[in-house]
Amino acid sequence: MSNGAVLFLMAFLFLGLGYMGVPVAFALMAGVIIATAFTPISLQSMIGQMFHGIDAETLLAVPFFLLVGELMTSANVTHRMVRLAQTMVGHLRGGLAQVVTLFSMFFAGISGSSTADVAVLSRTVAPEMDREGYDRAFTAALIACASTMANLIPPSIMAVVYGATGNVSIGGLFLGGIVPGVLIGIGLMIYSFFFGPVGIKKKMATLGQFGTALKDSSLPLMIPVIIMGGILTGWFTPTEAGMIAAVYILVVLIPALNRGHLRLLLWDFVYTGMLYAIPLAAVASASAFGWMLGYLRGPDIVAAWISDFAGTDAHMILLLLVVLFVIIGDFVDAIPAIIIFMPIINKLTELGSINPVHMGVVIITTLVFGLITPPYGLSLLVASKFVGVTFSRAMYASLPIYVVFFVTIAFTVLFPDVVLYLPKLLLPESVGCFKNPSGTGYICPT
Amino acid sequence: MILCGVSIIGFTTSVFFDVVTRELGAPWLWLQQVTTGFFAWGVFIGMAAAARRNDHLYLVEITKRLTGPKRTFMESFNRLVVLGVALCMVWFGYKNALLDLGSFRMPSLIPLTYYTASVPLSGLLIALFAIEQLVNGWNHGFEGPEDTADLREPVE
Repeated sequence: MSNGAVLFLMAFLFLGLGYMGVPVAFALMAGVIIATAFTPISLQSMIGQMFHGIDAETLLAVPFFLLVGELMTSANVTHRMVRLAQTMVGHLRGGLAQVVTLFSMFFAGISGSSTADVAVLSRTVAPEMDREGYDRAFTAALIACASTMANLIPPSIMAVVYGATGNVSIGGLFLGGIVPGVLIGIGLMIYSFFFGPVGIKKKMATLGQFGTALKDSSLPLMIPVIIMGGILTGWFTPTEAGMIAAVYILVVLIPALNRGHLRLLLWDFVYTGMLYAIPLAAVASASAFGWMLGYLRGPDIVAAWISDFAGTDAHMILLLLVVLFVIIGDFVDAIPAIIIFMPIINKLTELGSINPVHMGVVIITTLVFGLITPPYGLSLLVASKFVGVTFSRAMYASLPIYVVFFVTIAFTVLFPDVVLYLPKLLLPESVGCFKNPSGTGYICPT
Repeated sequence: MILCGVSIIGFTTSVFFDVVTRELGAPWLWLQQVTTGFFAWGVFIGMAAAARRNDHLYLVEITKRLTGPKRTFMESFNRLVVLGVALCMVWFGYKNALLDLGSFRMPSLIPLTYYTASVPLSGLLIALFAIEQLVNGWNHGFEGPEDTADLREPVE
């Protein structure tokens, strides 16, 4: 059997079994196991590859960022941040819709998980939106769209996985994700202001009310400072920063703000213990799948197709990758998608001489769009479940909001200098800059 | 699930002491191996726990929207696929673990088997859970109360 035929069989089995309802981790491995039978590779080495896929220190950051999100959600201290957002934007047209977006931006700086964001907003702001007469489909769509920022604004679990598997600076990806994350936030606020429901008009908060809300939420808002401050000063790796943030919540935040929750902490750990295993099980299987894909020269085949169309033009390559990943993101979860397609991404990064951090930010921005598109729009699915509206209604309500994502993706592709501004400024080595040997400052690749 | 909690508490503690001892200028290098061990065991044991609770990532949960014989056929087929993969994890993972008795991790030189043994054990648990679900499903049906939580339209 030719390499192309084995590749096709492996991909067909994965998608076929996945759509029949086999869990992603097992559908991937089933595809690999059958494909291995047509190659001289031993099954023993492919099962071993599952272990090697998760045997990376950087991946340890994933459970820590999930733990931080879970602790913040279950300890019920996030309502302070909701109140802060209310004093800042609650008086605008569509006040609660604006609150959803601004709170998501705050929460994205604490948790790297969109699902945690959806859970918090569905519990806190969604019932209030219901009372004010917002259409439930719009509420679910907005919460889902806003939750995607958690994967762009640091810390981001997708960035950790991308950096760990693609050998790209995680700090650089964190900083690069800020621009598209904030753009989505601003876009959603503009959309809600002009095209969203009006809501109930409220008075603008006084400076005193804003000051009180800011003081109340100062402890939770220290978390992004700890995480990014630790990474940027070089004190901690992203993994250690996640751990320090978790310890801060356990030792400072919960005792200060919700002492009663201390007796439930063990359950938070137990729940997060299983929660982190779910994406990482998919990572283990996807790394075996990705290895086999590389062995069968899948990256060369796809890179040849793309280079036939795009040559070595970086913008064209990125554009074709965006189209590819919009389609992939509709059908496959983002984390396995990153690992499976990493060999192809690396090949094309080289071909177009694209900065690896820029490539990473474009891919992650495109994949977060997949969280709100059918049939596998995880955030939209969870939001519709929590808000109590059918998936199809939530999907129709989110269709016009897709424009915000198209604009953001296009901006990320077309303006690499803006995306890479913060990484160049704060972590120059992350984007390939090196210290000027004959003076101060850095020399950066153009 | 309790073991998953133990693993995350374990590696949170070990990363914490790793940072503290490093900052004190007397790093305990073996802590990194402890961390990796907790992490790897946590992932594979969690993989088994998630298999039992049907909590894994799915492309679509189409089977939850089916009923009757179609549902039984699809659920049985899916569990058999999971069982097949789990048995491969058991047998080939076991062979890997034996082979890894000769590979050692620096700096404490413990055999790699201490880590890689998590794969066949996880496979064994997944296989047992898949068989349990098959037997329960065939005796009592595969439909459960959690199916009503799926708000997507039913499949005809």
